[in-house]
Amino acid sequence: MTTLWDTTGSAVVKELAAQRRTGGAVLSGVALTLVVVADEGRVTEAEDAATTAAEQHPCRILVVVRRQIDAPVPRLDAEVSIGGRLGPGEAVVMRMYGRLALHAESVVLPLLAADAPVVTWWHSDPPSRLTTDALAVIADRRITDSTVAADQMRALRTRAQDYAPGDTDLAWTRATGWRATLTSALDSVSGRRGDAVQVLGGRIEGDPGAATAQLLAGWIQSRSGARLDVVQATRHAGPSGIDSVVLQLDQDEEVRVHADRRGGAVISQPYRPDATMALPDRSLGDLLGEELRRLDPDEPYAEALEVTTGVSGLAGRTGVRSHVWVDPAEQDGAGSGAVDAEQVDEGSPHGAAPTVPPTSEGTDEVALHGEHDTPDPTAPETSEAVR
Amino acid sequence: MIPNPLRDPRDRRLPRVPEPCALVVFGITGDLARKKLLPAVYDLANRGLLPTNFALLGFARRDWGDQDFAELARDAARNAARTPWREEVWERLASSVRFVQGSFDDDNAFDELANALADLESSHGIGGNAAFYLSIPPAMFPVVLKQMQRTGMAESTPDRWRRVVVEKPFGTDLASSRELNELVDSVFSAEDVFRIDHYLGKETVQNLMALRFANTLFEPIWNGHHVDSVQITMAEDVGIGGRAGFYEKTGAARDVLQNHLLQLLALTAMEEPVEFSADEIRTEKLKVLRAVSLPEDVRTFAVRGQYEQGWLAGQRARGYRQEEGVDPESTTETFAAVRLGVETRRWAGVPFYLRTGKRLPRRVTEIALVFKRAPHLPFADTDTEELGNNQLVVRVQPDEGVTLKFGSKVPGSVMEVRDVSMDFLYGEQFTETSPEAYERLLLDVLLGDATLFPRNAEVEASWAVIDPLEEFWAGGTPEPYRAGEWGPRAADEMLAAEGRRWRRP
Repeated sequence: MTTLWDTTGSAVVKELAAQRRTGGAVLSGVALTLVVVADEGRVTEAEDAATTAAEQHPCRILVVVRRQIDAPVPRLDAEVSIGGRLGPGEAVVMRMYGRLALHAESVVLPLLAADAPVVTWWHSDPPSRLTTDALAVIADRRITDSTVAADQMRALRTRAQDYAPGDTDLAWTRATGWRATLTSALDSVSGRRGDAVQVLGGRIEGDPGAATAQLLAGWIQSRSGARLDVVQATRHAGPSGIDSVVLQLDQDEEVRVHADRRGGAVISQPYRPDATMALPDRSLGDLLGEELRRLDPDEPYAEALEVTTGVSGLAGRTGVRSHVWVDPAEQDGAGSGAVDAEQVDEGSPHGAAPTVPPTSEGTDEVALHGEHDTPDPTAPETSEAVR
Repeated sequence: MIPNPLRDPRDRRLPRVPEPCALVVFGITGDLARKKLLPAVYDLANRGLLPTNFALLGFARRDWGDQDFAELARDAARNAARTPWREEVWERLASSVRFVQGSFDDDNAFDELANALADLESSHGIGGNAAFYLSIPPAMFPVVLKQMQRTGMAESTPDRWRRVVVEKPFGTDLASSRELNELVDSVFSAEDVFRIDHYLGKETVQNLMALRFANTLFEPIWNGHHVDSVQITMAEDVGIGGRAGFYEKTGAARDVLQNHLLQLLALTAMEEPVEFSADEIRTEKLKVLRAVSLPEDVRTFAVRGQYEQGWLAGQRARGYRQEEGVDPESTTETFAAVRLGVETRRWAGVPFYLRTGKRLPRRVTEIALVFKRAPHLPFADTDTEELGNNQLVVRVQPDEGVTLKFGSKVPGSVMEVRDVSMDFLYGEQFTETSPEAYERLLLDVLLGDATLFPRNAEVEASWAVIDPLEEFWAGGTPEPYRAGEWGPRAADEMLAAEGRRWRRP
């Protein structure tokens, strides 16, 4: 492991290459690059999760921590490790200060594994429009987590409005265990009947404000067409916000699945004794590992999200996003979302929002003219082409 | 399968979970059950891959209560489980664990077993489905199968399935395997019989099919125009352990060559299946096995050996004849190597060298395709002296992955080409989460997916290959080799006779 203080992107690329050479054949198959965007407060958690996920899927981990955007001088600190504390693969943890934090992709782009898919995961509040973050635009799959938002339902609606194929949310991943259990429960009913089962209605008892509970309800509705509500449970629902699910079936039967809080779910159905199935609380790393398993668009998620939020037409959207440049310093209020360049007319208070300029010249005074504390010995000669 | 409104073919997050069922294990106190089966059951439960209504029934001679059995099962699962231990998962599993004591010829015991199964149907809602795992010596099969037939346990009806899992060895020669197959098939219908070859449950073996049929890169050169020879090696560094009684009667050819190695050969040499389904894959494998030809000169191209005292990994190793329980004059082989041919258009003229042995320098299983040398080299002879044949090696274990060996220029001012190897490692750090072979296979049995299980016709075709060899070897003495060597010298001479040499794995 090497830590580079006040460094440059090319020095990081060099250091990674150097470690690959000296480290021997530590890793030879990289299936994808995982870009993790995290707040300083959550970075350890994110690193642990990424490490767990990397054990299942060989990947290069790039952790981006954006700090102090208002710092006067941009600065990059990086920690490069191969087969170290961040799992078996290659990992770079980068802390970016000042205006550089807004140009994180300039450091990340040369570090992406060649021609391998890119997954970006925000373990923080993601931008309300992912296109405003260049790290989302370079990604083939974008993972957000609505459960970390203060208002989870609002976060879900934002995600639905912004949805493009390839987006996914860990609130949805958290529902996988429940979905498997419910499917299996219906299997056992139809197995007993020897005939298909219909879902006519039901309810989810839990926390109506929990994104996972709402997505689960949305999914059952999208699959069965029946109406389902999330109602407040009498006892405190677990981390997923789901305490139990009751499904009304045809032939006047009812199936009830409820969490036993010991890593299992009890399935109650007529004519059969109660059965218990494993339904453990899953670690963040495990959830992330599930996300990395497949990188194609997740249609069932899109449908569940549509039903949950009432936003339609998700499936038909194009998966291609192009970057919209937004300067948070020029925003009136935080979190109001970005504005499209075309949508802003001349009369707008802050004028036409800047688009990505053809050259970086003159756009970022500090980034251009800010100086390093110490001259970077590894920096290439100005005349030499940057590798 | 009955349609389920919640299932969606596009939804690939939901795991494949079997229908409610019971797993009945005969010989639950045996080594295999304790080291592999019970941990696999726990791991499946822990991953949420067992159905809501599941029961585990153990049958053995020991006089135990459910409690004692639960204790043993818990220790066994805990010692060898792959996934983290979670007491609550085990407790849940333990509540559906039953033990039935009795000997295999005891009618009462089997009546009791049938009753226990019926009880579980009502108390645990297993829906009458059951898989019987015969983790017992093959000599016991007839008795157990007869008992199952008598009690009606083996019958699949439209309402329920009954499956049987058979471990190798599937007989000791063609005649006995036919007999065994007939016996099993008379009790269970052919599609309900699952013959476990745990090698086929390994990730890399399945990856071989992905490598061949999902890529355009390899298939065009996967034939006799480009491939010079194929070497399939399965080496073990261990001796026979405590299995002298079994091994004395079996030997390396029957123990490994007949099943694992021929299955690997079949997967390597088979044509592309019409679709990735159990039937189609097994059809293609069977075609290859039927096309396997034996060498005309058996004396040179079929070698067997027996390890003598030697040094292995810094420790003194006893010779086979000195092992406990082995006849001091034993002629059982612990090493077998043979040159086979595959008589198809694709493989005509390409020798397949298979070898297996115990007390070899390291534990390794691999399939190596050795390519022909370039027909013309524009370099000076001295430039390419160190250049060998290109090789594509599928490493089955350990270090699961693929190696490609090709020539590259030695950096420097002179033109010099030497072999280098490029490694793809989907192994080491990453395989710790890939399921253990038994876990995968057990799940497939419960799901009724027979893709990774050889059909009885395959087993018979394999015996048809091994029988003439055994016949030739009968009465002779295997060639000695020192423990810690790559087999007897005759094995090296076998390849040298055709101007080739074994790849050191």
